[in-house]
Amino acid sequence: MEKKIKRGVAIYSYSGEYGRTMNLEDCFKDMYDMGATGIEILANSHIDSYPELSEEYLAEWNRLCQKYNVEPAEYGHWVDTRLYKNRSISMAEAREKLINDFKIANKLGFHILRTKLGVINGELAPVENWREIIKSVLPEAEEYDVVMCPEIHLTTVLADKFVSDYVDFIEETGTKNFGLNIDLSVFQNRFDVPGVVVYNPDCKHSQPEEIIPLLPYVKCIHAKFNKMDDEFNELTIPYGEIIQILKEQGWEGYLLSEYEGEKKDVPGYVSHELRKHHVMLKRMLGY
Amino acid sequence: MLESNVIQYRGFHNIEENGKITGFQICIRSDYYRGVWLSQLRPGKVVVDGVTYPKECVIWEINGKDYTVDELAEAGSDFWRITDTATLKIPKEGGLEQGAHTVSVRFAASCSYMPPFMDIFDEDGDDRSFNGGTYTRENMIIV
Repeated sequence: MEKKIKRGVAIYSYSGEYGRTMNLEDCFKDMYDMGATGIEILANSHIDSYPELSEEYLAEWNRLCQKYNVEPAEYGHWVDTRLYKNRSISMAEAREKLINDFKIANKLGFHILRTKLGVINGELAPVENWREIIKSVLPEAEEYDVVMCPEIHLTTVLADKFVSDYVDFIEETGTKNFGLNIDLSVFQNRFDVPGVVVYNPDCKHSQPEEIIPLLPYVKCIHAKFNKMDDEFNELTIPYGEIIQILKEQGWEGYLLSEYEGEKKDVPGYVSHELRKHHVMLKRMLGY
Repeated sequence: MLESNVIQYRGFHNIEENGKITGFQICIRSDYYRGVWLSQLRPGKVVVDGVTYPKECVIWEINGKDYTVDELAEAGSDFWRITDTATLKIPKEGGLEQGAHTVSVRFAASCSYMPPFMDIFDEDGDDRSFNGGTYTRENMIIV
């Protein structure tokens, strides 16, 4: 069977332990146990020489990817538009940060970037000049062979205007260096499950089928999960319907597990939840 | 590896210069899951045993370099990694007394990908914000 949909892990999931009870190799070891083959790192968190890339880190990275049979799936980075307290960053400053990340991602073997832009409101609409910022670095994105993907995440819903603005931007420019990362939190329809961390219980959500017209632009999916039961069901997001749609539509790419529940700082807790999540994904995918 | 508490036992001691005790230092880790550019920091007050040391008198040492709070605000190209501590250096003639102390450090970091109101933080206040607050550790021992 052709395995178009692949399983990976966003090691953001380990943020309650990283640097305290886990190091980078521990993350790879855990992924290997699950048969997860793709990794998402956060540049600002998981590169110990950031904002530079040291020779030592690069060598260690290559060693870990080879030893644990893991490929670079997505590189998370930010455009911190509110970098300074009293002003937004300039275009030149935004470009400098972005291009630095393109170079690092390229050296580490990443092609897909989760490019987190600054936002201006409660729906998480991006800064008004996002088109200018992105356009200004398209030539460099092409040069370094990377695709910038803003993350569509709760409290955003897929029907929000800026989501279609992103699609229009891709169509109008014809660029191959901009796409979407959908975080499955946009489908979260339960906020009342004990143990689920809820910031906004009145949050809207999207229906699974709303992802279909966006799929040609979706380069990567954050398989957000909040709470697994002991029968390997996720209790807040309609995973069965979503995975079925992805299979039927022939979508190709990584589902990167991202744990957003409680007890992240309890040693071993997240590793256990990730195992349950990957049992669920394996069963749904059939491999 | 770092201690789980934001305020670390390790690194807490008086500072000696030319044979005289001129102050004390506290090492902290970031409570945020990602490293930040130093201009994203919102450094606040330090409180030891009920005595407040205003943010203006605290020197932050990160990556071996000293910054005043005003210098941090401009340091948009320098970076604090989550696997590194920041050393907070506070001048105080004679330093802290031998024995146990209760130490609080207040700080936050800006977060451009969250709604702007979530960045609101009073450096001198006591409230928690989305990405900051006052961290306290008791029984910090000066030898």
